[in-house]
Amino acid sequence: MNLAQQIINGLVLGSGYALIAIGWTVLLGAARLVNFAHGQLYMLAAFIAWAAMHKLGVGYFVAVPLAVLALGLIGVVLQAMMLRPVMQQNLTSLMIVTLGFGYVIQGGASRIFGGDPESFISPIQTASIRFGEIWFTWQDVLTLVGTLLLFGVLWLVLNRTRLGALVRSVAEDPKLAQLFGINAALVYIGVFVFECAAVALGAGLVAPRSPILTSMGFDEVILTFVVVVLGGIGSVGGSLLAGFGLGMFTALFGALVSPAYTTAAAFLLLLAVLVMRPRGLAAR
Amino acid sequence: MRRLATPAALIVAALAYFVPQVAGGAPVAYAACTTIAILAVMSYGADLILSYLGEVSLGHTIFWAAGGYAASLLAVNAGWNGWATAGAAIAVSVVLAAILGLVTLRTREFVFSLVTYAAAVVAMEVAFNWPFLGGSDGIVGVPPLQLTLFGWGVSGSGNEDLWPIAWALLMLTLLFIQRFRHSRLGTSALMVQMNPDLAVALGVDGRTVRFLVFVASAPISALAGWLYAYQRAYVGPDMFESYFLVLMLTAIVIVGRRLLLGPLIGTALIIVQQTFFSIGGDGDKIVLGAVLAAILLLWPTGLIGLWNVLRAGTTRRA
Repeated sequence: MNLAQQIINGLVLGSGYALIAIGWTVLLGAARLVNFAHGQLYMLAAFIAWAAMHKLGVGYFVAVPLAVLALGLIGVVLQAMMLRPVMQQNLTSLMIVTLGFGYVIQGGASRIFGGDPESFISPIQTASIRFGEIWFTWQDVLTLVGTLLLFGVLWLVLNRTRLGALVRSVAEDPKLAQLFGINAALVYIGVFVFECAAVALGAGLVAPRSPILTSMGFDEVILTFVVVVLGGIGSVGGSLLAGFGLGMFTALFGALVSPAYTTAAAFLLLLAVLVMRPRGLAAR
Repeated sequence: MRRLATPAALIVAALAYFVPQVAGGAPVAYAACTTIAILAVMSYGADLILSYLGEVSLGHTIFWAAGGYAASLLAVNAGWNGWATAGAAIAVSVVLAAILGLVTLRTREFVFSLVTYAAAVVAMEVAFNWPFLGGSDGIVGVPPLQLTLFGWGVSGSGNEDLWPIAWALLMLTLLFIQRFRHSRLGTSALMVQMNPDLAVALGVDGRTVRFLVFVASAPISALAGWLYAYQRAYVGPDMFESYFLVLMLTAIVIVGRRLLLGPLIGTALIIVQQTFFSIGGDGDKIVLGAVLAAILLLWPTGLIGLWNVLRAGTTRRA
């Protein structure tokens, strides 16, 4: 095993995990809403980008922004439907509702796009860089840089702008925020749209690594749940750290122990942490 | 009226025994009824958690699959009869539920749901990769179910043979749920869910209650999985599919929570749609998911809630 290569792999995997998780983290922090359709939204974004490339004939760098836009619109529609339970913070119902949405999206996508695996290919996926034994692609570089940029911008927006203050106030106490004239419903919609758009960007950058399937769904992104909980609910910096940590863990575990049981090992790690700290590592 | 509701519900469920015959006795009627009974029992396991603890368990496919795998492994490799495999299914599921219950003891809400889901993903990965459990092929060739008591008994693998057993399992489950609702544990669970402060004041330990309800719910889903293994003569990692999860939750919420016959009627509605009015596998997924979301968004109390709204409307007008 080449340790340097595994560390590179860990960084690349980790940036993907963090990128796919970030929308979820922000949504959980601001609206306390778990979106169980997260995986199906990831799948849908990958297929929209794929369809844009293969049916409309646009290039990869147009298709991905198109998918982000499309998912943002879908986010508006979904959140508008869920607005009443979201305002009531009826979290149990919401979890099940999003599970239902996910199932609808999965069924609808297989009707439209078929059940066969498709190859969603990025042109820079094949352009690789070599330093002696170490090897990675330009797509990996793009994912890593894109993730760091998005996290940086998000951190600035949440902590240094009026918009961020609105989101944080609604997250802290929605009723009190409303008393101060903040439109909590609008904030919830905005946060949900961000989640959908962020997962679409994640799909655009990460999904080209392997063939895409309409059935990939939640299991494809369930590892990012580890990132969300370990990083601390709603913590942007924590998610980034947890993402890279998990990336390293999966890369090394896959190389040293067994690739087949990587997910299981990641979850056992998570369960162990939750037994000791039920609210995540970052919780005080 | 209210006092008679429970016996009436049980009598209705008992009379369901004759449904396949009344429906013409065709094999498809027996198959549909047996499947409904099995999947309804599976749903009652998750119902105990959702209706009485107010939490969403996404891990009940583990117990469902554990029952199926226990039955198949022991029947195929050791030749155990139905009673023995049922006992094993209960034992395995109780052990698994105790472990998962201890791990999730301090988690609530979405953390509880996500951890139970994560546990199901781990279990599926293990079932998929571990040759002892048949790996991705599963375990094939489950022999016909043999259940004998004092020389009298049933054995068979066809749906006509399995229907009486499925029906009996369903009745046992209903009686158990009925007992549970009136037991100290059942009332404590509701109190912990609805008024945790009162529960603490009365000296009820919320964690113990949650743990016990969780462990009690597992064998119900496991026994459903046990019978499912004999019905299909095969088990595999597909028992972890989200289809069963979505079906459980939909069956519970569609009619209304905390109703004795709720999950049974819910399951019946879903399976009748999928068996007789199917619009293709993907179409059925859309229907199932849309029904689940629509019920909770439009009538959170289920069809019973809708019925109450309509009835209130007509009485006001009259």
